[in-house]
Amino acid sequence: MQASRARLFKEYKEVQREKTADPDIQLACDDSNIFKWTALIKGPSETPYEGGVFQLAFAVPEQYPLQPPQVRFLTKIFHPNVHFKTGEICLDILKNAWSPAWTLQSVCRAIIALMAHPEPDSPLNCDSGNLLRSGDIRGFQSMAKMYTRLAAMPKKG
Amino acid sequence: MQNKDGPLADGESEAATSNPTPDFDDWAKFGDDDIMQQQTAIRAEEAEKTPFVGDKEPLSSLAAEYQSGSPILLEKIKVLGEKYAAIRRTRGDGNCFFRSFMFSYLEHILESQDRAEVDRAKSNVEQCRKTLQSLGYADFTFEDFFALFLEQLESVLQGNGTSISQEELLLRSRDQSISDYVVMFFRFVTSGEIRKRSEFFEPFIMGLTNATVEQLVFSLEVAALAAVFLKCFHFVNMFCKSSVEPMGEESDHVHITALSDALGVPIRVVYLDRSSCDSAGVSVNHHDFIPAVGGLPNASGSTETVSPFITLLYRPGHYDILYSK
Repeated sequence: MQASRARLFKEYKEVQREKTADPDIQLACDDSNIFKWTALIKGPSETPYEGGVFQLAFAVPEQYPLQPPQVRFLTKIFHPNVHFKTGEICLDILKNAWSPAWTLQSVCRAIIALMAHPEPDSPLNCDSGNLLRSGDIRGFQSMAKMYTRLAAMPKKG
Repeated sequence: MQNKDGPLADGESEAATSNPTPDFDDWAKFGDDDIMQQQTAIRAEEAEKTPFVGDKEPLSSLAAEYQSGSPILLEKIKVLGEKYAAIRRTRGDGNCFFRSFMFSYLEHILESQDRAEVDRAKSNVEQCRKTLQSLGYADFTFEDFFALFLEQLESVLQGNGTSISQEELLLRSRDQSISDYVVMFFRFVTSGEIRKRSEFFEPFIMGLTNATVEQLVFSLEVAALAAVFLKCFHFVNMFCKSSVEPMGEESDHVHITALSDALGVPIRVVYLDRSSCDSAGVSVNHHDFIPAVGGLPNASGSTETVSPFITLLYRPGHYDILYSK
């Protein structure tokens, strides 16, 4: 408990110091609970998520950093490796390939990389995975783009 | 017949159409979190059988395990009995090599009170810290693990306020918050050494990743991700990310060579398996991992006379600690 708190505090200071280092990620800690974090990440360019801003929720376990944080999308996203209803993410480093060498910040970078490089063969969203697996890139991109517009872009007016 | 079949068929089709939704919801309930919880439960069950580090047992307890098993193994255990007196088991959770090394090394320092060895080890640890820094690891990702190991190393030396007994060392090795942190320290050190000398280790790692097509494909998937945040990625980095740094990933000769070199600690591994090629009686093979001197790679079969004070017993898939007579 004490160890995880100390580590998270170091990450907090690092985030404050490096605030401008990565303009695609805004990581923030809950005011009253250092085990709860949220992040805003920018959809990578040249993907159907471009122009969207996606919110992630982090729940950090007491055994952190020996155990990975739980991360899910709060913003609706159409992506083969993200559960459409719960926002749960299928990414090896959040499961068995986790190591303390990762940080909340580098997890955000890995999620942005996953947005740009979906893995349709291990889908959490089968509809999305099937479109890609059947080669219907256009169908996938228009669905993903539609949900980016509906859910990840600020409403005008 | 039709009357009888009709409603049945209807009932079936109704069931078939109404089923998918609850089925889907049922599946949806089993998220990755549930799988991880189940894995935790399985580990907890395993934990009740063996502590991280067991008690010292006479070698006869090893023979008892194979009483109705292979005669070759029983023969080999008899041969082992000529040189070795006892065994200390470690939990088979994928960290057994690192955990065996941890206890064996700290116990050796506790018994020998070899201050020179501690000083030597400390300067190697400092070198490892610099290695990780130069590889681009942020200090805060590894410093807690380093600090905890150095604390253990200091505490097994008597004569300072925090020194500990053999019993306390055993208790600490069984305490997850200490034991896992030290294992993680070794994983960082091992990873740093492999990446620092990637040209030396690459051929061995290529062999491992080529072992199965599935593994290779997996590695390539990891590569696609890794490429984004590792400037100069190659197989070695992927191997470290997937097979060295995560807890519970098993060790083999690559890990042992790297750890032995990085810390400058020789390790003897005694192999107990069913192989036998001798016509005149069985013998037990061992391999000494002798650390590189002056930057030379860990050369197997070198004529050095350094004799390891750490002896591990390897049975396919697992390491335990062995005690000489």
